[in-house]
Amino acid sequence: MILSGWEAFFFWFFGLAAIFAGLLTVMARNAVHCALFLISSLVSVAALFVLAHAEFIAGVQILVYVGGVMVLFLFVIMLVNVGAEEQGREEIFNRPRQVTASLVFCFLLVAGVLFAVNTGYQELQKRAAIQMATTGSDQDSNLPPTATGTSRLTAQTETVGGILYRYGSLPFEIASVLLLVAIIGSVMLARTLKQEVSADDVDPDVLQEEAREHPEVARVEVSS
Amino acid sequence: MSILLSLAVLLFQEASDGRVAQMIKGVRSPDLSKFLVIGALLFIIGVAGVLTRRNIIVIFMSIELILNAANLNFIAFSRYLQETGSVNAYAGQVFAVFVIVVAAAEAAIGLGIVIALYRNKETIWVDEIDLLKW
Repeated sequence: MILSGWEAFFFWFFGLAAIFAGLLTVMARNAVHCALFLISSLVSVAALFVLAHAEFIAGVQILVYVGGVMVLFLFVIMLVNVGAEEQGREEIFNRPRQVTASLVFCFLLVAGVLFAVNTGYQELQKRAAIQMATTGSDQDSNLPPTATGTSRLTAQTETVGGILYRYGSLPFEIASVLLLVAIIGSVMLARTLKQEVSADDVDPDVLQEEAREHPEVARVEVSS
Repeated sequence: MSILLSLAVLLFQEASDGRVAQMIKGVRSPDLSKFLVIGALLFIIGVAGVLTRRNIIVIFMSIELILNAANLNFIAFSRYLQETGSVNAYAGQVFAVFVIVVAAAEAAIGLGIVIALYRNKETIWVDEIDLLKW
């Protein structure tokens, strides 16, 4: 895969935007700013997905992450009070010793990953050249052109859907169970004591002890 | 800081071979390795965020960044395998869908835990949440 022309320009534009927004996500003081920078990073990565001809994943990325997960993050930021952080009274990073240690490990990781990408990629290119010589496929030219004639229609979404249901139907069902567990689990975790009492979900001994500290808990009617 | 150093290492490695022209060509026509480098840098930014930040919500955001970097690698390899005519070329995209599903579930559960913690401990700083420390 070699991008050229405007594709190369947009690759560098969105790639650097993703990295820059990612850095700001980690460095910003205000948690809401962090969330907004993370959204722009995710959108830039979605643009990179489009450049890699994965339009379906790009759409899912925008819908699920920006439309769902990030809204959830913003609501939780609203629910927990982070005022002290915004006003600059609290330190946003951990203690200096831990930060230095983690940055040293990050540097080792960077060096290792870049070394692996550089050396491993050359071998990969040799293998790809052999494979290209045997198959010699350029699938893009077989696809029907679009209305403007400047690009070609792709069948990516159809192919991904076909493979998802043909070879990945069991993991797909397991993922749906995982999502169900996540829904129920987050509802259970975020319940207040009052809500637990009204659902008659508290041990009587615990309830008595809690009622001593919080009298309003004892007055909650148990609804069946 | 570590990002700048890594870029310097990359540039040094490319330039020390005396192939500056090839580097310019690599910038003008990026290939798989450039996708991998961007994925690696995003991953490392996420790791740095998880290790250094105190706010537990920002730590969750950094985890999302890490999962996204992994997704970028999956998609890039999927595209690469499509062009070399591999059999399982689309497995990367299918796997990316599952990564997104797991990330969404993880965010929902994690934020539920954050709310429960905030209700009990009145804090979102991870260095003050030391219930399991002895």
